[in-house]
Amino acid sequence: MNQIIKTEQFSENVVKLVVHAPRIARARKPGHFIILRIDEKGERIPLTIAGADEKAGTITLVAQKVGVSSQRLCELQPGDEILDMVGPLGRATEIHNVGTVLACGGGVGVAPLLPIVEGFKKAGNRVISILAARSKDLIILEDEIRKWSDEVIIMTDDGSYGRKGLVTAGAEEVILREKVDECVAIGPAVMMKFTALLTKKYDIPTQASLNAIMVDGTGMCGACRVTVGGETKFTCVDGPEFDAHQIDFDELLLRLGGYKQDEVDAFERYLSTQK
Amino acid sequence: MQEYLKMEREQAWRIELRNQIKNKERTALPRVKMPEMDPQERICYQDREVNLGLDVENARREASRCMDCVNPTCIEGCPVSINIPKFVKNIERGEFLEAAKTLKETSALPAVCGRVCPQEKQCEASCFYTLKLKKDPVAIGYLERFAADYERESGQISVPEVAPKNGMKVAAIGSGPASLAFAGDMIKLGYEVTVFEALHEIGGVLKYGIPEFRLPNHIVDVELDNLKKMGVRFERNFIVGRTATFEDLKEEGYCAFFVASGAGLPRFMNIPGENYNGILSSNEYLTRVNLMNAANDEFDTPVLKGKNVAVVGGGNTAMDSVRTAKRLGAARAMIIYRRSREEMPARVEEVHHAEEEGIEFINLANPVEYFADEKGRVNRMRIQRMELGEPDASGRRRPVVVEGSETDIDVDVVVVAIGVSPNPLIPSALPELKVSRWGTIEVDPESMQSSIPELFAGGDIVRGGATVILAMGDGRRAAAGMHRYLTESK
Amino acid sequence: MANLSTRFFGLELKSPVVAASCSMTGNLDQIRKIAQAGAGAVVLKSLFEEEIYVQLQEELNERKELAADPEYLDYFDYVIKEENLNKYISLIREAKSEVDIPVVASVSCISSSEWTLFARKLQDAGADAIELNLFIIPSNLDKNHEANEQFYFETVKKVLEVVTIPVTIKISPYFSNLGRVIKDMSATGIAGITLFNRFYSPDIDIEKGSLISADVFSSEKEYLQPLRWTGIMAPNADCPLAATTGIHNAETALKMLLAGASAVQVASVLYQEGISAISKINEGIARWMDTKKYGSITDFKGKLSIQADHAVAYERFQFMTYFGGKGF
Repeated sequence: MNQIIKTEQFSENVVKLVVHAPRIARARKPGHFIILRIDEKGERIPLTIAGADEKAGTITLVAQKVGVSSQRLCELQPGDEILDMVGPLGRATEIHNVGTVLACGGGVGVAPLLPIVEGFKKAGNRVISILAARSKDLIILEDEIRKWSDEVIIMTDDGSYGRKGLVTAGAEEVILREKVDECVAIGPAVMMKFTALLTKKYDIPTQASLNAIMVDGTGMCGACRVTVGGETKFTCVDGPEFDAHQIDFDELLLRLGGYKQDEVDAFERYLSTQK
Repeated sequence: MQEYLKMEREQAWRIELRNQIKNKERTALPRVKMPEMDPQERICYQDREVNLGLDVENARREASRCMDCVNPTCIEGCPVSINIPKFVKNIERGEFLEAAKTLKETSALPAVCGRVCPQEKQCEASCFYTLKLKKDPVAIGYLERFAADYERESGQISVPEVAPKNGMKVAAIGSGPASLAFAGDMIKLGYEVTVFEALHEIGGVLKYGIPEFRLPNHIVDVELDNLKKMGVRFERNFIVGRTATFEDLKEEGYCAFFVASGAGLPRFMNIPGENYNGILSSNEYLTRVNLMNAANDEFDTPVLKGKNVAVVGGGNTAMDSVRTAKRLGAARAMIIYRRSREEMPARVEEVHHAEEEGIEFINLANPVEYFADEKGRVNRMRIQRMELGEPDASGRRRPVVVEGSETDIDVDVVVVAIGVSPNPLIPSALPELKVSRWGTIEVDPESMQSSIPELFAGGDIVRGGATVILAMGDGRRAAAGMHRYLTESK
Repeated sequence: MANLSTRFFGLELKSPVVAASCSMTGNLDQIRKIAQAGAGAVVLKSLFEEEIYVQLQEELNERKELAADPEYLDYFDYVIKEENLNKYISLIREAKSEVDIPVVASVSCISSSEWTLFARKLQDAGADAIELNLFIIPSNLDKNHEANEQFYFETVKKVLEVVTIPVTIKISPYFSNLGRVIKDMSATGIAGITLFNRFYSPDIDIEKGSLISADVFSSEKEYLQPLRWTGIMAPNADCPLAATTGIHNAETALKMLLAGASAVQVASVLYQEGISAISKINEGIARWMDTKKYGSITDFKGKLSIQADHAVAYERFQFMTYFGGKGF
């Protein structure tokens, strides 16, 4: 079950995994995510599906080392199996022909963005993608994104690749240059927050895909709750995508810090056992 | 049914047993006390059971209190209609394996029910001792547990007989008590039964919800094994409607479905500050500890361990959460409940155990706001005093705010245990399914059939919230209803 | 043409005629028509604290078969509350996107408890202002006037603490020292007071010998009480006043403005004559202003309040002088 077919090291902390999961490969749509548990001791980790090959029965995931479980996930090799995997979860992205779509991806957020970019392109939109990261080696899936975009702008914090600057600088330039009908932003919460502020200024409908803390992923635990337009929503069943202009990002940022200390502790414990 | 009970009662051994001891002597015996682990010791362990179970001698003596009534009202109090006098009398005469077999005639999970049923509101409330003698009822729950435990520990576990396969395939969605009861009955009737579970573990609330100090996992596993031996198939990590659609499953040969997908979205109070870190639902708290083993450092999943933990609510979930907090090392573990002790929906025994363990009960109080430090971690909660007003439609007195009575309590973890809403996954996958305003599936109360003829439902997804035993009762009725439907439509 | 703009709810209104909170203002279609008719603002149908309790009782009564675990229903009032609140939030949002006049949320509460904290959610949903519809019928003999007044001040204080948008209050005349209460209330930081709430009243059917409900709509003659108190309090209050009850036409609306009201709230007339009543009142006010050569509302607002020589008229409560032949 859930055998790893292929891995690819994107950067020191980011790995692409192609996993055999035929049912999920068949059922998934852009925006969907899965929950996995690598072994008996692992955490349940939510990961958005970056792509699927229905014929081969595989899905593509991009994992980043942030805690013990994800660290161990990134160390898996082809042939290894993931103990548990369930999905597809969440609501699929609403993809339609709107005209021009601005797709902003930050860091590993580019992975879940990929199927959405593909979807919008196939639906007949003009798609402009902006990929942003701290530096060149953290820009991922550029070729794949290019395949489904009319234009790709690369932004790096240190200027080591593409243009120097934040994702918002690239986005604003596009907005000022041409009419943008819709925007999708996926990445770190801070990046989505500022992208949302920017597009709100120009009154462009914007979707953001949230990476909240989850336990079960099926609407049971409420760990992933987020305030959207004054209402409490559950990212796993009501999301993961929401109207970015309605999301209370400040609360989200605080909530994402919720288990940080515990994670750091667990991580250190893990590293000490590895020595 | 009445005839059958009468026939059983007239068996020679039962008559003989009745004549052995005079009723007067039976009623003179005091109710047995359940031996318990010492409170100070037990709060050091998350996974050690509080109740230790009766020994043979005590069990037989307690069983002898039962007068084997002509009209056993206790059975009417049981949602799965266990033949209570028959199993109790079997204990009295020392035929413990027979007692266990009797339980399994109608219940798929006797060791579970013996531990978590609110007997004081069901069979024991309808016992002759309670109704007529105004004395402590026969400890039916303890005896049920005794029989089930005895069988398990004896290693001679009986597997109920199964009818020859009838070639029909049915699915149960969710693997909690409703589904397990359903699966047990359907497999006996000759169906091929697959139970689909979304999580990685079978058992639903029995695994993720009820803590091990009340219901150890290995006890649930034995009951699950029994169902496996009978031929029930279990598929984990499978969300019907997502991983595969209902249509997909129909193509794979499933001709009817029982939806018991259970509780979903935890409810919150919608008060300011409720989304601060450190404030979580009882579902999350218990799932982390029970399902993910978060209390154990060997496991990756973390759980917040608070010094001052407040649990909001007065049900079993609240008791489970607050006692878990104590076991995770809380100096102060508090229940905040807006009515008085008498109105608490929790099992009496759980409240009692909680008290023994040093849980603080702050009754007639309700949170109104939370405050946090600069990092967004909760550090204080504001509660408001309540008083009891007029009784409402449920007969309980309504809590009314005492204006201007706010006080603050220091807290670092708050667990909100005020209930859950039905799981939205199945209804969202079936737009034509008739659901109530609150998201529960509407069914015929006799057959448990929904607005989609081949779809039956029970447990939390129908009632909003159900006890383990009510859910099992639903599962049994649904099995009967589905069997009728499938045989008639053939 | 005359400029009808005025200020109330802490906002600039293009007309002093405001659609009061009523079942009509809970419906998006009607809200749209109200805006088209030229209303200065719309006060949405109230979110009622009491209604939650009634709905809970219905829910508890309904569940006889397939009863739930008592744990499930123990806090069910919160579920009902949330549902009502979410519906209300959507109403605010939809109304805001549909109309360009100010949308005022209305909260009707009988306790100052956590209910008032929901005011924050209404603000977040986009309400331009909040109207608190506070009422205690002072029939509880265990509470003295001070305790009752305390409730109003407490509630206002709590709401003002949690929101930044303007808050106004609508009160009943049932105070033992009404003038002073209005005066003190006006100094709490609220953006306006509306005089007065009209309660549903009991009546008696002498033929059947039973209690019945009195007419739910106000009549044209009922405006005198708000008129008197608007006239007395407008110059003495630290915030603007609005008048309501019995305002069915431009004449009455003008009387209120002359007495010192900054706006008038209408409801009954919308049911009796249709939403077009709003445009008729607007037109009537404008015509009168043109005739009287007033360019704006402020030119005549409060001209006939208690100030100057009118004190005697407002405060006279005996008929003697009237019958004595001295008019005012």
